[in-house]
Amino acid sequence: MKKIYICFVAFLLAFTAVGQTFNVQVGNVVYRFPASRTGDMEFVDGNLLVVMGKSFALADVDAMSVNEVSVQDNNVVISYNGEAAMVEVSGNVAQFVDVTVKGAHVSVAQSNVDAVDGDEITYTLSGAATDGSFSLSGSYKCTVQLAGLELANPGGAAIEIANGKRIQLSAKRGTVNTLADGAGGSQKGCVYSKGQLQIQGNGVLNVTGNTKHAIKSGDYISVKNLTLNIDGAVGDGISCNEYFLMESGCVVIDGVGDDGIQCDLDGTASTGETADHDDEDSGNIYILGGKVDIRVTADAAKGIKSDGDVRIEGGEIAVNTAGGGVWDSEDVKTKASSCISADGNIDITGGVLELASSGAGGKGINGDGAFTAVGGVLSVSTSGNAVVASSSGSISVVTSSQQLDRYDSDYKSSPKGIKVDGSIVIGDSAMVSVSTAGAGGEGIESKYSIEITGGQVAVNATDDAINASNLSSTGGTGDISISGGLVCARSTGNDGIDSNGNCYIKGGVVYAIGSSQPEVAIDANSEEQKKLYVTGGTIIAIGGLESGSSLTQSCYQASSWSKNSWYSMTVGGETLAFRTPASGGTTLVVSGASQPTLKSGVTVSDGTEVFGGAAYVPATVSGGSSVTLSSYSGGGGGPGGGWPGRH
Amino acid sequence: MRKFTFLCLFFVGLFTVYAENTYSYLTFEMTDGAKFSVQASSLSLSVKGNVLTVGEYEFVVSNLTKMYFSAVNETTTTKVDTVADAAFDEAVEIYNLKGEKVGKKELSKGVFIVKKRNGTNKIVVR
Repeated sequence: MKKIYICFVAFLLAFTAVGQTFNVQVGNVVYRFPASRTGDMEFVDGNLLVVMGKSFALADVDAMSVNEVSVQDNNVVISYNGEAAMVEVSGNVAQFVDVTVKGAHVSVAQSNVDAVDGDEITYTLSGAATDGSFSLSGSYKCTVQLAGLELANPGGAAIEIANGKRIQLSAKRGTVNTLADGAGGSQKGCVYSKGQLQIQGNGVLNVTGNTKHAIKSGDYISVKNLTLNIDGAVGDGISCNEYFLMESGCVVIDGVGDDGIQCDLDGTASTGETADHDDEDSGNIYILGGKVDIRVTADAAKGIKSDGDVRIEGGEIAVNTAGGGVWDSEDVKTKASSCISADGNIDITGGVLELASSGAGGKGINGDGAFTAVGGVLSVSTSGNAVVASSSGSISVVTSSQQLDRYDSDYKSSPKGIKVDGSIVIGDSAMVSVSTAGAGGEGIESKYSIEITGGQVAVNATDDAINASNLSSTGGTGDISISGGLVCARSTGNDGIDSNGNCYIKGGVVYAIGSSQPEVAIDANSEEQKKLYVTGGTIIAIGGLESGSSLTQSCYQASSWSKNSWYSMTVGGETLAFRTPASGGTTLVVSGASQPTLKSGVTVSDGTEVFGGAAYVPATVSGGSSVTLSSYSGGGGGPGGGWPGRH
Repeated sequence: MRKFTFLCLFFVGLFTVYAENTYSYLTFEMTDGAKFSVQASSLSLSVKGNVLTVGEYEFVVSNLTKMYFSAVNETTTTKVDTVADAAFDEAVEIYNLKGEKVGKKELSKGVFIVKKRNGTNKIVVR
């Protein structure tokens, strides 16, 4: 009985949807007016017909008809079919759209300056054309919906919107839409919008930019829900001003000739982040969720590049760069690729990031401001060597750190994992792992100061694993402070932890490994009367500590240690286990809140794996042999490690 | 019983909505105030020069002021004379709205001007 009831209702609803429409066809454009709303359709001067405010020159009208077809308000439907396009315009917006169709090129001049019947106009595009386009001008926001569209324009942009207002570019659910523009043109993007561009929908959008960018907006771009594939571009994948915001969806960028996502400041001064991003012009890039996969291969190209800050709150982000370095004769500087580059700060509060740079000089993260990670999982790897430029600007690759030291900083770019000019703060639940493999590959570097208050930090580097310098230009202290968290800093060619100011170990678990003398596990700038201060924490230092250290918390040393062996360290009833490296400094130093006991050759049966498997904190161990510890006062690894100014 | 009542009300609403959205006629108003209604269903219109062809009918565009959808036939017969057969026999000349002279036996559906010795009438041929 219920089924019969539902069928009746559905049947009746079908009937209620029937309407009556007065249609006026002018060339390839049909205007559909609901009969119930046409009112008086006036003939003027014997040559004009006015319907719902739209004037038609009767000489231009090809046909008129009355049929029983419902019309949805505020719609302009464009159907591409090979070399032609048909346009259907809803009657209530007819007076506000002036449509021109030439072959498969459709131009619309939209004249409303306010909502029409309480809503904006929606342009729905579908079909296919290999020589077609959609261009729109206007002064009020609107929606452009792609509903199964394949559009290529060899003579310009596929979609060009000169309307400076907010445009929603939507890929309809279940549809795949593919856009390409022509090569050698003057268009700024295959998809170009003068105004704000909100890219959304639950469909798929594929874009190729054959002249410049794939997608370009003169204002902000936001991405939500849809799957956006940038299949190639001569310039950037996505280029915008003001800010870039990704809330959800999937963005894949490959085959681009420049950056993956670039956001520039529109004006001359940043507004910073504003409430709800209203009137914001910050150059910031925000990623709140979704999936981002970017590959850039051009020399000095950036995966994600901002004039302002980069703020990541969630999502899965993978960025790969493969390009080498270039000499910028204008800036008189060597430049190289980086996965994330910001003229402002870089803040990570969530998400999972995998950043990899393989080209010469390529960095994982490069920022002019500060770096903060208080959440999320960040993995950074660089595998290229350093790149240098001669006085004439000739670029070459350098494979040894000693060779690199001969070059001034403006004439070289090193493959550092994370390098910022401002401070670095890592804490809370952040998990940061960094590995470098090439010459000059510092793991984490700040030109200002570094503070680790929590989280996990694991660095394997060819140069200093963790380094804070104090360039006069930044006014930084070069101090490093570790007060919490789990920190593993291993260098195969320099210091584990290197501070150009003071170094403060106050808490947390610190496992530092320096290479052979004169490098040390934990270094401070004693050459300039700076010191290492140990006041707390659980410390394992292979390669010893900087001479002249202030060791308020007692430290102990083992006279020797075995490579590639599992050791356990017990402090106050809590045990951790660590595996020694294949190489490192001579002295093994340990320190804890109370005198620790050390065992070598233990078997780990349980525990929480950290540092990529290099330790378990805490750990359940068995077996092993006690290691004799003697009092340690510092300097066991040799004089201050690292070369001043070697950055 | 409740369901039956609801269904009945729904039918009433259905026909109301249907009635509001569809019109039986497209009515044309001439410059002299005369009106002529054409059945609207599946109607085709075209314009060539000064002539508007509406289904089987033709209008001189310059004689039209407006058209509109109407629920009823609004054709005005007060300004259009019906001619008895005898008077029709008296017709000297008959012109269509394009101003073309047509023969008595050539009259298709539409509006015509009939000139007689003692006056001129407008007739509607259905």
